[in-house]
Amino acid sequence: MALNQLFFRKTIIAATGLFLCIFLVVHLSANCILLLPEETARSLYNSYSTTLRESPLIKIVAYLLYLSIILHVVFALLITIANRKAKPQKYVMNSSRENSTWTSQNMGLIGTMILLFIVVHLANFWARIKLGMGDAVGLDAAGNVDVYEVTSSLFHNIYYVIFYTVLAIPLALHLHHGFKSAFKTLGFYHKKGLRIVAKIALVYAIVMGVGFGIIPFIVYSK
Amino acid sequence: MKVTFKIWRQEGPDDKGAIRAYEVDGLTEDMSFLEALDHLNELLVLKDEKVIAFEYDCREGICGQCGVFINGRAHGPHDNMTTCQLHMRSFKDGDTIVVEPWRAASFPVIKDLIVDRSAFDRIIEQGAFISSKTGTAPEANAIPIPKEVSDRAMDAAACIGCGACVATCKNSSAALFTSAKINHLNGLPQGRAEEHKRVAEMTYQMEIEGFGSCTFTGACEVECPEGISIINIAEMNARVTKSKVFG
Ligand code: HEM
Ligand code: SF4
Ligand code: FES
Repeated sequence: MALNQLFFRKTIIAATGLFLCIFLVVHLSANCILLLPEETARSLYNSYSTTLRESPLIKIVAYLLYLSIILHVVFALLITIANRKAKPQKYVMNSSRENSTWTSQNMGLIGTMILLFIVVHLANFWARIKLGMGDAVGLDAAGNVDVYEVTSSLFHNIYYVIFYTVLAIPLALHLHHGFKSAFKTLGFYHKKGLRIVAKIALVYAIVMGVGFGIIPFIVYSK
Repeated sequence: MKVTFKIWRQEGPDDKGAIRAYEVDGLTEDMSFLEALDHLNELLVLKDEKVIAFEYDCREGICGQCGVFINGRAHGPHDNMTTCQLHMRSFKDGDTIVVEPWRAASFPVIKDLIVDRSAFDRIIEQGAFISSKTGTAPEANAIPIPKEVSDRAMDAAACIGCGACVATCKNSSAALFTSAKINHLNGLPQGRAEEHKRVAEMTYQMEIEGFGSCTFTGACEVECPEGISIINIAEMNARVTKSKVFG
């Protein structure tokens, strides 16, 4: 039997999506270090970041992460195109608000906003720290690359603070629908279990949205 | 009661089609929605105009023929209801009611509000049956089936093939329909012998027919007149994986 694209594509999106969801938890937890008092935050954040950069295991995880984002985006694009083709003529009147959420109807659009965020975010950090583009990054007192300074200087620019905060909204929306959807895509069909998944998805989306959205503001006001 | 119908008119598959407005007076709240369309058609006959083509059979909510999109919802403003069970009392005097055919690449318009749903038949042909001769009905307790298993199979079997799930889905996914058919048979001992083949072939046919993939918007289970639960789709997904591993 030939490969069933309808399922294969969704399975890739769901599996990579859930992997990214786990990554976000780790990422947000680490970012909480930024909330500590200035000097503690600087030394902790920089030593944490150095440990990560030097670990071979993290290297593998990082490549998995890049691969996941690429696969997620590529397959999301493929299903969005295929799904549009399946409904070439739109309704003159469509009251989809009465049977489904706006988020679930617009995952492609919301995902594109997140993609925009990821590109800017990588340019802000990854390109500067890993690729050495832009202003050189200094060392802190302990001799670690001063990633804290990169963060802190970025978030003293109010435009970046607003950008990061506003784009936490599509992230939260995407995660709320995506988290629930991924379980069903992967074949979890326990009725009560799915109700619990829906509750976890809501809490998860709020924590991620508020967490990523508010940290730039706190760093700004420090 | 007086309403303005805005109805999709299309001569045939190749005609472009357009919305046309009809002011209709003399309706009562007790009329079913289809009776209101009958009434409009009688007026059109008197005016020597072409009647509006729409489908129906049983008019009692069991055949699944009467699907049309009404004011942006499959089968009209209520959840879980067929068009023939909708009554004019659900609208107000002076309302404008927009009526369109199901929209999906796999459901091409034949005329006006009638679409070709034979893509569903071709999915059914792939395995929504049991190939062994069953003879006359066996003794009821010959094959013991736990109550919850039979309940789930019967819930899935309630699907009347109306196509509202495809019509309302932004991806025109046939996942709710196909999952109902698959889970109905695969859940029961009689269907087990062919379970993997059935899942693989029926789901593959969905793709061949050009239906989209399910992204769990949940619109289908709200519009489905039989209240088929979307959890059926998750179960079908599990069965697809199982068929890949064991099939
Ligand atoms: C931090 C990054 C991201 C995470 C954690 C994430 C997570 C998820 C999850 C868990 C799903 C559910 C899979 C399923 O429905 O089974 C999903 C679906 C999807 N994602 Fe993402 N995603 C991310 C970024 C993106 C980006 C950048 C795009 C687009 C360019 C995107 C587009 C989509 C689309 C189109 C879907 C399928 C939509 C649907 O089910 O209706 N995502 N995502
Ligand atoms: S699953 Fe529901 S909406 Fe879809 S065809 Fe069957 S009865 Fe109609
Ligand atoms: S006419 Fe048979 S279900 Fe409506």
